[in-house]
Formats: sequence, C-alpha cells, structure tokens
Amino acid sequence: MITVATEVNAANTHKLDLTNLTPEQTALQIKNLDLYYGEKQALANVSMDIPKGQVTAFIGPSGCGKSTLLRCINRMNDLVDTCRIEGQILLHGENIYDKRVDVAALRRNVGMVFQRPNPFPKSIYENVVYGLRLQGIKDKRKLDEVVEKSLRGAALWDEVKDRLHDSAFGLSGGQQQRLVIARSIAIEPEVLLLDEPTSALDPISTLVIEELISDLKDKYTVVIVTHNMQQAARVSDQTAFMYMGELIEYADTNTLFTTPSKKKTEDYITGRYG
Amino acid sequence: MEHNINKHISGKFNEELENVRNHVLSMGGLVEQQLNSALDAVAKGDGELAKKVKENDYRVNAMEVNIDEECTRIIAKRQPAASDLRLVVAIAKTIADLERIGDEAERIAKVALDSFTKDQQGLLANMENMGRLVSKMLHDVLDAFARMDAQKAFEVHKADEKVDREYEALTRQIMTYMMEDPRSIPRVMELIWSVRSLERIGDRCQNISEYVIYFVKGKDIRHVSQDMIAKTI
Repeated sequence: MITVATEVNAANTHKLDLTNLTPEQTALQIKNLDLYYGEKQALANVSMDIPKGQVTAFIGPSGCGKSTLLRCINRMNDLVDTCRIEGQILLHGENIYDKRVDVAALRRNVGMVFQRPNPFPKSIYENVVYGLRLQGIKDKRKLDEVVEKSLRGAALWDEVKDRLHDSAFGLSGGQQQRLVIARSIAIEPEVLLLDEPTSALDPISTLVIEELISDLKDKYTVVIVTHNMQQAARVSDQTAFMYMGELIEYADTNTLFTTPSKKKTEDYITGRYG
Repeated sequence: MEHNINKHISGKFNEELENVRNHVLSMGGLVEQQLNSALDAVAKGDGELAKKVKENDYRVNAMEVNIDEECTRIIAKRQPAASDLRLVVAIAKTIADLERIGDEAERIAKVALDSFTKDQQGLLANMENMGRLVSKMLHDVLDAFARMDAQKAFEVHKADEKVDREYEALTRQIMTYMMEDPRSIPRVMELIWSVRSLERIGDRCQNISEYVIYFVKGKDIRHVSQDMIAKTI
C-alpha cells in the first residue's frame, strides 16, 4: 500500500517549476513580448519559459493573441507589414529577433503546421523530401531513409508505403495533415509549432493526430494552439491561458483544468461569461 | 474564488447542475429525516416509526442511483472542468456517504423494536444524546453543502472529535453494564451496534465536509491534520 501511495504522489508531484526552469529544461524563453498590428496592441508583456521535450498548449478566446504568439516563435509575423515587435524570444539563449539571425535557418529549426493541411502539388515522397532537396541533398538512399523515418514518425507510413509516388492530394484530410507533419519533421527541427492542427479534421483523424502529438514530444518540443479545450487538456503537459493579448495563467495542465488560480481562466474553461 | 453555478453560457448546463445539486439536497433532507425518525423511535420505543424508517430506506437508495446517473450524464455530455468538475466529483462522493448514513439509520431504528428494562433506559438516554450530536453534524454539513461554505464544513469536521469522545465514553459504560449483568449481553449488543452506527455517521459527515472543502477550495484535505486544514481555509 505504501509503495502505491508513493507512486501516486510521485505522479502528482512530477511537474516542472515553470517559473524556474534550468537551462537544460528550457526550449524557449519569451521575455516581455509586446506586439502591435499598426496602432493595435495584440500582445502585452508576455513572458513565459517553454520546457524542452514537452507539449505546451495556448488556449483562449478568438482574438486573444494565441496564434499571434505562436507565429512569433518562428517569425511568421515578419510577413505582416504593419507588425511591430518589442521584447525577446530566446532559443539557445539567443534572441531570434536579433538582426544577425538567418530567418530561413530559424524556420528550419522551428517547424510549423497550420490549420488546413497544405501539401504541395507533388507526390507524397516529394512532399516529404522537399526540405532536404532545398538543402541540396540528392543521395537517393538518404532520401528514402528520411521518407520512411518521417512518415513513420508521423504515423502515416503503413497507410502510404505502397503509393509513395502518388499525388499528395489523393490523401484524406487527416492523412494530408500527417503528411505535412512528416514534411516538417523530415528536416529534424527542435521545435514544432501546431496552429489548430485538427480544427479542419474529423474526430477520428483528430484522435490519430493527438496520439501522434504525444509521440512527437519524445524528440521535439511541441507548442500547440487549439480552440478545443479538451484537446489541450488531453495532449499538453502545460497550458497557457491568454485573454486580450495578455498571458493570464500558465500552469501544468492538470492543475489548470482542475484548480485554476485565476477567475478569468476558471470562467473560460468552464464555459462561463465573466 | 466565488463559484456561481448559474453563469454558464449554456443555460441547459446551468439547469443540469442546478438540478443535480437540488437532488442532493433533497436526498440529504430525506436521510436527515430518516436519522431523526430512527432516534425518535429509539427514544420513545416506537416500533411503528422504526418500521417506517426501514420501509423508507429504498427511497434513499433510489435517489443515490438517480443522482449517480445524472453525474455520469453530465460528465459524458459536458466534460466539466475546474469547479464544475469538482462539484460533480464531490456530489458523486457525497451521495455514496449519504446512502450509507441511510443504512446506519435503519440499523439504529432496529433498537426500537427491542424492549429494554428500566435500568437499561439510562443507556438509551445517553445514546440519544450522542444521537442528537450526530444529527446536528448531519444537519450542519448539509447546510454547508447547500451554501458551499468551506468554513462551516470545517466546523463539522472538528465536531467529529466530540462524537468520538462520546462514543468511547458510551462504549465503556455499556461494557461495564455487560460485565455487571452478563444476561443482558444479547440485548445490549444491539445497543452497542447502534452506538457504533452513530459513530460511523459522524465519520461520514466528516467525509462530506471534506468534499465541500474540496469543491470550494480545490484542495484535497483528506488524511490531513486539522491545523493544516485550518491553514488551507
């Protein structure tokens, strides 16, 4: 009985101190981040440390800034003309907004998957090796190897191994999304950003992707934005609740969904109006 | 943090939570009535009333089954989180304890069906005293549940100590009585079982007070010292 109790305790206490991560535990540090679209402030003084090898979810109502924050992590907001950013995001202790940073290299290291699957109009095989071909890798054996490894990593291999040279558009939505994930992990990024990866998928494909997300964290740091609160509760290790551009509460997922400490969080996750 | 179960965007969800909460209160009311009737029956030697308690126990059981089903339905349909989740969990546990309190009341009522000699009446009177203490605990914990009042629940939690002391004193008294008059043992055994039932009801009220505190404060205070609970509240 005593061992059981100890195990239960260990399971309950095995959570990171998110305010005090060691450098080894940290994948990303967001420091006092402000973001403006023109005059409008979309993120206000967001600071948080994202742990390595874990799944971190951003939740919050529409327009709260969660997708904006996610896009900051691989500088997708650079593409928005009116966007202005203050503050820092540190990867390996270096600010990704530093002038010397090569954005293409950053995006190789920080992959991203979007809401709608966006395979290229090419074969399944070519989709996966696209990034490697850009890097100039031609060795057929190497490419074959990466295709199998990435498709296995994205839990798609068994379904497509006999039709690797068919068009990617012949796959179902859920398969296409897993193909896009395979394409992202083919170049072995450290961080994978998922922006509502299952919102365009049916419930079964959603479960398959969720299962995949749990497997991915063995190798990658995963950051996911989701509208589906139960999904955040199911797949993530820690959850950040955002509201009107501010980070309201950031805690381990078990705590946030059973005993949130802020009233705004409580109201949101229980479906109340404030 | 204040917990208002009536502020969900979904009006239907408000209604479901409100209903299940009201059903727990009705069940609590019925169990309280069962216990008080059992105690009255013993005090007055009223066999008819005792039979009524026995007959009514099925109603308590049926309420537990229904409320359990309601809780399952809410979990399946609403996937409650945070305080809503804690409320549903607290309710599911509370009704299990209420159902057992109902069983104990039935057990106590059985004593009223025996006839006691005049000098055994003294023991009955002492048992009645303990019964009133326990009955107040039940009343207060249901009140704490209705108001979702952690402070009041904590008062009930502390009151159990008094019941335990009363239980020890009464057991000692009954044992002395048995030693003095071994022929009385079969009948007095019934009495000692009932006293034991009262003590168990106290424990179950204490459990319910823990669920109320869990719901309100989000802290599991089972198996924790009273000092620590006081700090939590």
